[in-house]
Amino acid sequence: MVKLRIDDIELEVAEGTTVKSAAEAIGIEIPSMCFMEGFTNHPSCMVCLVKDKNNGGFFPSCARQVEEGMEIMSESDDVREARKDALDLLLSDHVGDCEAPCRIGCPAYMDIPKMNRLIAEEKFQEALVTVKEEIALPLILGYICSAPCEKVCRRVPVDEAVSICQLKRFVASEDVNEKNFYLPEKEIASGKSVAIIGSGPAGLACAFHLTKAGHECVVYDRKKEAGGSLTEIAENELPNESLKAEIEVLQKFGVQFIMGQNIDSHQLNNEIKTKYQTVVIATGENHNGLEIKAINKETYETDQPGMFACGSVVKKLDMAVKAVAQGKAAAKSVNSYLAGKEVQKTSRMFNSKFGKLTPEEYPEYLKESSKDRRTAPEKGNLKGFTTEEAIREARRCMHCDCRKALDCKLRIYSHTYGADRRKYLFGERKNVVKYNTHDSIVYEPEKCIKCGLCIEIASAEKELTGLAFIGRGFDVQVNVPFGKNMEQALEKAAAKCANACPTGAIAFKKDEFLHKDQEKK
Amino acid sequence: MSQEIVNIVDQIVERKGQSPDAVIPILQEIQMAFNYLPELALQRVCDTTEISASQIYGISTFYTQFRHTPVGQHIIKVCVGTACHVKGAMQVYDALARELDLKDGEDTDAEGKFTLDKVACLGCCTIAPVVQIDDITYGHVSTEKVSEILDDFVHGSGKQNPNLKKIKSNNENQGEIRIGLGSCCIASGSADVKNELENTLIEKQINVDVKQVGCVGICNQVPLMEIHKPGEVPSFYSKIKPEEVREIVGRHFKPAGPVARMKDSVYNFFENLVLEKTPIDIIRYVADKRDTPVSEFLDRQINIATEYRGELKPSDLEEYKRLDGFSALKKCLDKTKPEEIVDTIVKSGLRGRGGAGFPSGIKWNIVRKSKEAIKYIICNGDEGDPGAFMDRMLLESYPYRIIEGMIIAAYAVGASEGMFYIRAEYPLAVTRIKEAIDNCKQQKILGDNIFGSGFSFHLKIFEGAGAFVCGEETALIASVEGKRGMPTMRPPYPALKGLWDKPTLINNTETFSLIPWIIRNGAEAFNQTGSEDSKGTKVFALAGKINRGGLIEVPMGITIKTIVKEIGGGIPNGKKFKAVQIGGPSGGCIPASMADIPIDFESLKEAGAMMGSGGLVVLDETDCMVDIARYFLSFTQDQSCGKCTFCRIGTRKMLEILNKITSGKGTQKDLEALKNLAISTKNGSLCGLGTSAPNPVLSTLVYFREEYEQHIKGVCPTGKCSEMITYFITEDCNGCTKCAQRCPTEAIPLTPYEIHTIDTEKCIKCDICKQVCPIDAVITK
Repeated sequence: MVKLRIDDIELEVAEGTTVKSAAEAIGIEIPSMCFMEGFTNHPSCMVCLVKDKNNGGFFPSCARQVEEGMEIMSESDDVREARKDALDLLLSDHVGDCEAPCRIGCPAYMDIPKMNRLIAEEKFQEALVTVKEEIALPLILGYICSAPCEKVCRRVPVDEAVSICQLKRFVASEDVNEKNFYLPEKEIASGKSVAIIGSGPAGLACAFHLTKAGHECVVYDRKKEAGGSLTEIAENELPNESLKAEIEVLQKFGVQFIMGQNIDSHQLNNEIKTKYQTVVIATGENHNGLEIKAINKETYETDQPGMFACGSVVKKLDMAVKAVAQGKAAAKSVNSYLAGKEVQKTSRMFNSKFGKLTPEEYPEYLKESSKDRRTAPEKGNLKGFTTEEAIREARRCMHCDCRKALDCKLRIYSHTYGADRRKYLFGERKNVVKYNTHDSIVYEPEKCIKCGLCIEIASAEKELTGLAFIGRGFDVQVNVPFGKNMEQALEKAAAKCANACPTGAIAFKKDEFLHKDQEKK
Repeated sequence: MSQEIVNIVDQIVERKGQSPDAVIPILQEIQMAFNYLPELALQRVCDTTEISASQIYGISTFYTQFRHTPVGQHIIKVCVGTACHVKGAMQVYDALARELDLKDGEDTDAEGKFTLDKVACLGCCTIAPVVQIDDITYGHVSTEKVSEILDDFVHGSGKQNPNLKKIKSNNENQGEIRIGLGSCCIASGSADVKNELENTLIEKQINVDVKQVGCVGICNQVPLMEIHKPGEVPSFYSKIKPEEVREIVGRHFKPAGPVARMKDSVYNFFENLVLEKTPIDIIRYVADKRDTPVSEFLDRQINIATEYRGELKPSDLEEYKRLDGFSALKKCLDKTKPEEIVDTIVKSGLRGRGGAGFPSGIKWNIVRKSKEAIKYIICNGDEGDPGAFMDRMLLESYPYRIIEGMIIAAYAVGASEGMFYIRAEYPLAVTRIKEAIDNCKQQKILGDNIFGSGFSFHLKIFEGAGAFVCGEETALIASVEGKRGMPTMRPPYPALKGLWDKPTLINNTETFSLIPWIIRNGAEAFNQTGSEDSKGTKVFALAGKINRGGLIEVPMGITIKTIVKEIGGGIPNGKKFKAVQIGGPSGGCIPASMADIPIDFESLKEAGAMMGSGGLVVLDETDCMVDIARYFLSFTQDQSCGKCTFCRIGTRKMLEILNKITSGKGTQKDLEALKNLAISTKNGSLCGLGTSAPNPVLSTLVYFREEYEQHIKGVCPTGKCSEMITYFITEDCNGCTKCAQRCPTEAIPLTPYEIHTIDTEKCIKCDICKQVCPIDAVITK
């Protein structure tokens, strides 16, 4: 047995144990990307650096065995800084988007590519479920959203943006017209109630998400008709029928509406506040005589405990989708407040994005999609897509989002360590290339961190062709020997490689492959 | 063709074997056969051996020696080592590319006659810049001379001295003429001088021993001839041209027999008539006379690794034996226990000469104490540092001494197999070692039962394939095992788990070459020389802006000043001494103001440099320190194996920042980023290459920060950063038109007798105009 100290904790482990395993034995998590039990290529990523207190040097903990009397620091500032530097460097050489630009461009952060793929596979309800994760009013927004997502769609320079807004409206209207329309499963009833003053897009969205979270929601509005500013939109832009239909869905979901009742400051303080645990002010631009001071624009808390505000009452919003997004964010804060937790601003996962496509990259991206031009609804924009049109249009989506967006270690650690993709961004970036001829996997070399796990796996699986490091130094690439293709390279080892690859460089082509494989596990 | 390839490959595989570790030797032979690696040949190797497609691709694209596309008939290698770099190697390269009319990205001319290539260092630093075409080396090349060189190669190459006749051996032996045949000497024309010498001797029937000795060290004075006559003080002749040989021989030796004597005088008479005067512009030095450049150069040196320098014929085993050779080995085998040998090495204070200075005795002891039955010895001769050629010289000149050192080490640690790892760019070293091994085997100095002692040791050569990182011991081992030269984590150290996971003693060439002397003279004799923690001597390759460059062996602790001023004779052309770059890409730049520091492992490290393997490049006031830092970084980033993040990406990003700065686009923020990145790369890299790569940057940032600041402000004070300078012609121009005639882009209109002008739009900054101007009227701003 060997005695050592890690982060001032004394421990004793068997000889031959790596420092990383020793740390894990006492619950200290050390990040690592290139390490895999039984393989030899590590250490290369250097994300698992720790510091030797005795000599001040850093070393990769995955490759060094414990020694008697070692004193290791794994969480000090300089260790974190060193790991962050490794990540910064890896990111500077990483060309790929975690999330597609459309999703980043969407104020509601809707998972647009996923919706598109589900539509293309004719899974319309699943597509709607995806939409409703973020957007409470997809049908309404399907008409009136100014679609910032389409402006940043990677397909724009290729030909034209994917008609995202129409697709969203399509899945929403398909659903509304169903007898058995989609109502999300609610959390267990909390027994708490929330008053929402104002039935515009922010208030409605907030009500939807709070109801989903298990709270009782009552929406007040001075007007007789729910919808706030939405009711003022011309019929040829937003048919009243659609507005009503979506509000009806909310009612069926359990949101209560008390209409034609103006809430002034007096009523608010004397009635509402006593009746409900929480109040959300979503009265839009006109305060209606309600005086609210000091609103935290990140958490939507006001200066009064238990009172929140969202939508144009906070600051005039130019897009309904922003109001819908704020409605969800405010609901999250309310939910935390009601649970007695600290209210925190909504933080998004780290995101890598690389800017504009070069013309050489257009064909690479088109490999993932149909080459058809943008579909115009035959029956006119107001009528929207037919089923066939929607499917055809959804197939134009180029799958700009990463296939490993949720389990990429580079992304996860970049998030943990606050890595900065731009810190070492000098020189020219490499062009994205997508190898997608293999049945089950896609290989994107510009996401590769050169850990070589796939090469070793292929060789262990006795692949005849396999993969190889080609070149060396900064220009080294993992590729197929003799100019052969990926199907020849990975006849047997593809799934293992995709699972082992720490980034999105080798990933399952379709989500199902992942699911199937996980079932097997 | 395809059947031919298959046949040749099959023969190669037959010779080299089918195991995965045969991959590099097999590829080397394929390349030798075809000048490149045909895909079909690689496929055939995979089909007929245990070598996989993945392995053969990984290997053949890792080592720079290997080419995947056909090359021209002749390969031109432009040395871009440090010494060549500071003397304008890149401009020479560009000029050759222009001369061959190569488009961007092409390396072979349209006719397929020449392929142009860069090489990290040919180890001929004293005659920089150096260009090698096939096996002919040209020194002191300037941009304006490249067409001449190509012409010379095409019309003069392959000229050999026809049928040499023998001198009658019954003529009275009048003495000995020694002529150096190291790589530098040959590159400077010593082979031609030797041929001419032999011709002259045959013609005049003078019986003199012509002895080819190894590197003399005074590389700046080569070709060098030493004349030894019984009872006379030896004479040195430096920088001899073939046409001067006859005259020199005539001065010292009389032709044998009356006919030859008469022929000689008549011949000389007529020759003198034609030429009026024999063109002797050579300088003669008498060896015992003080204050001559040769004596100054040699006097302050101590020859241990280079013992009998200039006397030994490299491949003459008998002579080596006469001069104490293999007596140390005999002493060890006859009456010294292995632990006593190790003890002597420990006491001698010897530290590894490869760069890091790990105590050799401790390393030997670790290997000795290991209980494993199989142990290996490796001589690390993968000297890849640009600006260093110590290993090359030692291997070429003292092969037996290194072999002796290795056998002693093997006996001391209990190894029975050993290997020379020599880089492929050193063909002469490989040849000499091969020859020496064969001779030793014949005399039972190598093989089973050496000197009848019962101890057996087998030695072979592994030729490196072009990867600087293989100087790192774990990468070296990987490459011997047939893998990409990627370092692995230490510990475990090779001394415990090395080649094929067996204990392996890896020492640098110079380290082994010191061993026989230490054994013969004792640990005390060795540790009396040197400084507190660094004992003995160190061999340095002195090059750059120095009057007398060459290979020197000096006591540890000698100051930089002594080396530069006294041994090296100061800076040429009246320029000011600015700095020395010590230790190549792993080392740093030490400013002239610190020239008093002693050179040893510790003090160099403290100063931000490193002993490295011993390259010592002198820089003068015309050298740009930012450019020097950028130069080294471009080397290390190019040589990074690409395994670990900090080295693979970190060095690249540092280079990108330096490119920004040297092109005048840098910002203050870039300087900070550069420094931070240098520190994190130093901390976070896996092997010595990455951890030391930032040293040239860090040391120049400390000592020459001001120069960086000036670049940020848009000025390269020395005018070396070509993107920041413009060429002008001053009013001194006398209108001779030389510049206009030689300008490759017609940027200078031909205006005879008028002041010339440069069209800066057309100017490609090739520097030719500046070089050809007879009155220095071309300047840069």
